[in-house]
Amino acid sequence: MTSIPKRSDVVAAAEDLRRRTLIHLPLALERMIYLASTRDYNSGLYHHEGLASRYSAEAACEGLADCHHESFRELLAASLEDLVRQLQAYADSTDTLASNFVTTWQELEPYRAAVPVGTDPLAAQFVFSNLKVALAVFASRLAPPPGAPPA
Amino acid sequence: MIPLLLSLGLGLALVFLLYTLVRRSHVPVEGSAYQLVEARGSLHALQRELLPRDFIDRLFDRHDLEYVHNELPADIQRLFLEERKRISLLWVQRIRSEILNLMHFHRGHSRFHSKISVLTEIRLAADFTVLLVICRMLEAIFYFRGPYAAPRLVYSVAATAARLCTVSEQSLAFLNTPGLRTVNGGSRRGSATI
Repeated sequence: MTSIPKRSDVVAAAEDLRRRTLIHLPLALERMIYLASTRDYNSGLYHHEGLASRYSAEAACEGLADCHHESFRELLAASLEDLVRQLQAYADSTDTLASNFVTTWQELEPYRAAVPVGTDPLAAQFVFSNLKVALAVFASRLAPPPGAPPA
Repeated sequence: MIPLLLSLGLGLALVFLLYTLVRRSHVPVEGSAYQLVEARGSLHALQRELLPRDFIDRLFDRHDLEYVHNELPADIQRLFLEERKRISLLWVQRIRSEILNLMHFHRGHSRFHSKISVLTEIRLAADFTVLLVICRMLEAIFYFRGPYAAPRLVYSVAATAARLCTVSEQSLAFLNTPGLRTVNGGSRRGSATI
């Protein structure tokens, strides 16, 4: 994958992705995780069969990268309250037990690998920090109130 | 005795001045290129990442603090304040470091690439010095009193840094060619162009 795609193809691929796929993912957090999952861990390049067949592998890759940056920017702009809401909604959508979700995310911090390449380190740190606090808020809501009898 | 000391002092001052001038006139060529690219990178980081108003508004947004204070338990309040303090310190330290890069660039190279009057250079030097001092002050305030203690100073630092960026941008304008954009960190490394 070495040729440089036309900008118009990249814009069209990104728009196609937004219209067909990302529209079903209303949360910026969901979109960021999904888009990160289309990226190869070794090469850092994005792959999407459907988009690549409609445009080109290169245009699809750049379109996915553009949308990934866009979702990260949205997450960066989200308030803490909104982030807690997004995290809870995302956890609900995964069909995982909420307490397991929180434990896994607190231990593995998977969001650290979901940031687009080329993101400013401070912006990334800010999002990680907010997600860490949001997870603590989420965990505190799952914990039984003090004095409550054990289940 | 006094005239002798005065003469010695004057002599030493002249030697120091001569040494400084000699050092300035021998900037290695590869070092120059490196500093140019580094200055361009610093300018990019300041203008695109560290100084945009919406990022600063978000980082120091009091709604987050109110939300945490009004709705969450004490341990989460503590965690939030620790985290926000850490990020605020990183922010001001990054600004200081990028501004230092720009200052080194101006001190060593800008005179070769743009026509800056002596008066402008003196004003610029004063602005750089004041900004670096205020950054240190802000760092101390964040460290001892938390990230929400000096909102005016935060915006004052951002405004002064933005002004210095504008001047630096003019000095670095000759680097704004499409071919060099990929060198300065402006390209997206996650895209297909690499």
